[in-house]
Amino acid sequence: MKHILVIDDAATVRLYHRNILEKAGYSVDEAINGIEALEKSLVKSYDLYIVDVNMPKLDGYGFLKEFRRQEDVVQSPAIMVTTESGNHDKILGYAAGANLYMTKPTKPNELLSYVRLLLGEVAE
Amino acid sequence: MNNLLEQFLSEARDFLQGIGEKLMQLENDPDSTELMVELFRFVHTLKGNSGLFDFPEMTRVLHASEDLMDAVRNGRVNYSQTLADQLLEAMDFVGSLMDEIEVTGKIGSNHLVISTELTKALRALLDTPDAVNVPVAIEVYTEDALTVKGISWSELPIMDLPETIAMGLHRCSIDGETVLWLQYTPEPECFFKGEDPFFLARQIPDVAWRHVILNNSASTLAEMDVFSSQLVFQLLTIAPETELDDLLRYVPDQIHRVKIPALAFVKPSGSSTDQAIDDDVIDSVLALFDNDEIDALIHTINTMLELSSPELWSSSALRWVLHLIDAEPDNKPAQRILLEAFRTQTAPDWSVLTPPIVPQHKTVSAPIHVNTSEIPDTLLRDFNVVINTQKEILSLPATSSGAWSAGRLKAVGATLIGCYRAVQRPHEIEGIEAALNIALTQNSPVPLLGWLETSLANTQELIFKGEPEPVVASLAAQPEVKFGRRTDDARGENAVAASKTLKVDQDKIDRLMNLIGEMVVAKNALPYLANRAETVFGVRELSREIKAQYAVINRVAEEMQDTIMQVRMMPVSFIFQRFPRMVRDISRKLGKEVELVLEGDATEADKNIIEALSDPLIHIVRNSLDHGLEMPEARLAAGKSVTGKLHIRASQESDRVLIEIIDDGKGINPEVIKHKAYEKGLIDEATLERISDQDAVNLVFAAGFSTADVISDLSGRGVGMDVVRSAVEKVNGTVGIESVAGKGTRLFMSLPLSMAVTNVMIIESNKQIFGVPMDLVVETVRVPRVQIRTIKQKQTTVLRGRIVPLLSLNDLLARNEAQLPNEDDEFATLIVRVHGEHVGILVDDFRETVDIILKPMTGILGGLPGYSGAALLGDGSVLMVLNPRELI
Repeated sequence: MKHILVIDDAATVRLYHRNILEKAGYSVDEAINGIEALEKSLVKSYDLYIVDVNMPKLDGYGFLKEFRRQEDVVQSPAIMVTTESGNHDKILGYAAGANLYMTKPTKPNELLSYVRLLLGEVAE
Repeated sequence: MNNLLEQFLSEARDFLQGIGEKLMQLENDPDSTELMVELFRFVHTLKGNSGLFDFPEMTRVLHASEDLMDAVRNGRVNYSQTLADQLLEAMDFVGSLMDEIEVTGKIGSNHLVISTELTKALRALLDTPDAVNVPVAIEVYTEDALTVKGISWSELPIMDLPETIAMGLHRCSIDGETVLWLQYTPEPECFFKGEDPFFLARQIPDVAWRHVILNNSASTLAEMDVFSSQLVFQLLTIAPETELDDLLRYVPDQIHRVKIPALAFVKPSGSSTDQAIDDDVIDSVLALFDNDEIDALIHTINTMLELSSPELWSSSALRWVLHLIDAEPDNKPAQRILLEAFRTQTAPDWSVLTPPIVPQHKTVSAPIHVNTSEIPDTLLRDFNVVINTQKEILSLPATSSGAWSAGRLKAVGATLIGCYRAVQRPHEIEGIEAALNIALTQNSPVPLLGWLETSLANTQELIFKGEPEPVVASLAAQPEVKFGRRTDDARGENAVAASKTLKVDQDKIDRLMNLIGEMVVAKNALPYLANRAETVFGVRELSREIKAQYAVINRVAEEMQDTIMQVRMMPVSFIFQRFPRMVRDISRKLGKEVELVLEGDATEADKNIIEALSDPLIHIVRNSLDHGLEMPEARLAAGKSVTGKLHIRASQESDRVLIEIIDDGKGINPEVIKHKAYEKGLIDEATLERISDQDAVNLVFAAGFSTADVISDLSGRGVGMDVVRSAVEKVNGTVGIESVAGKGTRLFMSLPLSMAVTNVMIIESNKQIFGVPMDLVVETVRVPRVQIRTIKQKQTTVLRGRIVPLLSLNDLLARNEAQLPNEDDEFATLIVRVHGEHVGILVDDFRETVDIILKPMTGILGGLPGYSGAALLGDGSVLMVLNPRELI
């Protein structure tokens, strides 16, 4: 089973993603900010990260930047999810180490399609 | 309601609370960027959450609030009182929507108007119109694109726009705005459905042009049905489609909308004349055009314009040429078509205009190939999005993107591998891995990028040829990138998102508490059992073992009880937190200046107590603001500071919570109170003469007493302090007041920490046992028969120099029996304090005191005011607990 870490300070958004992803058969962990995400990602390797931008303590950019600097971890793809759509934000995210951008609220089908692609799963 | 919605509501309330608090704090510290950032984050997250559901009314208001806060955060708009008021109002609206969702699960359709108004008001505060509207992608509608969308040039609506508007819209289109043509045909019966087509039509934002036509199927005025709508609204708007979707979501079937390509606006208008422009002239103009002598062309056109009347079609066309040269200098084909149109003096035919102008920002020029593979279109599209994104990432210049860490390269590699695997091209993976390894050794994205480009060129079948995605990558001139924006929020007040609390349904806690209560009672049966083992069955060893086991169970049960009490404990901040807002609102309404000081809001008490405290406290605070604190002028005259002070303080004193509300207002004048009470018949003349000042002040708690001469919106609505007193007494609390005229008033409430366990004294009367709450019992005495006097047919006795009225419990309970004295002819008397007076209750005998879990009586028995409830005793019998306050 593939493990996905959902990082978002809003419990509602976390639950929303958890519902979608678990229904599709993934195992989901949650982190409420960048710090917690770092802690979790360093002890367990996830196959995919879904990262919110705006979070207290350490935001999504900060998390990705820090995580991508780590040497001994599996560098799995990261999808950045944010309401702040706009070119500038995207560049920030990509430069920090995101691999894809999606705008909130994510559409379940779209999210799953991208998740499958990033995880390299062949669609039935 | 599904769990997601529940989660949303519960979290959203926290956010609303947080937003309110931050706004309050901002009022004291308007320059704090930290608060501003926090506030923005709250609004932002709330908006994001609401977007998960179909609550457009809510999302719209939140969106406007977010934009406003964003502007404030970035310093584009200054924080002001009006702004705070507006935001608070918006949040109140959102709160009311949530209440509705909680009850009905959805938002009714009646909020659209308020929502729109609030949005408008919020947007109005963003007074700087977003001038920095960077065009994202230039979408050019060619004939092809139109055909793809099922519309051809000939089907475009016929618009007779004034030239200036048409030119403006054309320029908007060129600048990347989407111009939409809307035709709204209300249902003929719409008036009977309470719809207002005019209102809706006027709600549509950013309208550039509109008009109304009559869709009257050829009838005379006399035949017209005035009760059915025959209107057709037509308008052109540049509002975002999402906004329109929201607005028109109730009438989607009555809307016809078409995206208007830029060139459709280029349509000269005016009167044609036979005095057409000479072919020679046209030829020479075209020659100038073909030779790219644009300056000369413009000069010639200007000369021609001067020579001809401005109303002519040809003049209009000439102006359009100038406009087109200016607006779309590179669109030579379009300019040429327009010039050619001079020959025929008819509107230019744009449909011949191919090929399209390729947007300059496109990074991917997608070669058109037929997709022969069996990969579904949607997957292919998503695959292309991801791959192109990786390409974009790899092309990021190192300067603006920070260093290329190995992690980022690996992540891109992992993404590519995933994608190729997902589209069943596993043989590509080796190539990716090889390229990644080279990239890692060179610490450069170039090898990966090279591989990707080669691979894309070789696998044309993987390129999606549907609608081109507006991929934009204008990478030049990106400002310096900053990472890891930290907001310092180690302090507890930012705990909304960070606190690790578990939200539990109150019912579950109550159930748990009941069960523990039952266990405590069940446990109490063990000593009886031990007793029986010894006395009835004569097994002493068993009795001792039962007692030993009882000690263990007793300890665990008590701990459980303690713990569940802890769970039910809540800080008083739960009710305190609403005061800043309330005090602010009220004081502003009254024109008073008030400084509110809250102390000890971490003090905890049982949830029931806290909840019982809430209403009285609000009442008291309102009273203080309305009657206690003076107007600024009066304060100045009295030699006080202009700003009144209101302290609300909570503290714990042994097993009670003490709440004090202190103001430095005008205080209570005992003389006024006395006379008022006398006028209302609450006291007689004799009392009026000799009542002490303190007792006079206490009269405010008497039922039916209200000093307010004018019933205001805020206080004095017929309920007075007596309501406060009874509410507090209901939870076994006491309330008192101290006041110094001219200096201020101190009101205090003392409440038990917890109501769960009640200490009662068991008494016996008429061969029955009853409980009396210990906190009412002042003392127990045995009164000899000889000391009982009868004054005015009432039994009384003198106890420590005080006259104490005596009542017999049997009489109170309407049992026609005399109380039984003991062998020394003394009556067991319970002295209780009721409404500040000592009263003696004669009973037959006293028993021990016990801790019980008092259960209020329900059903028919609930109507008996003389009892506060019932409890189970250890031996399984039921103990009725009396309520002396009501009984006497």
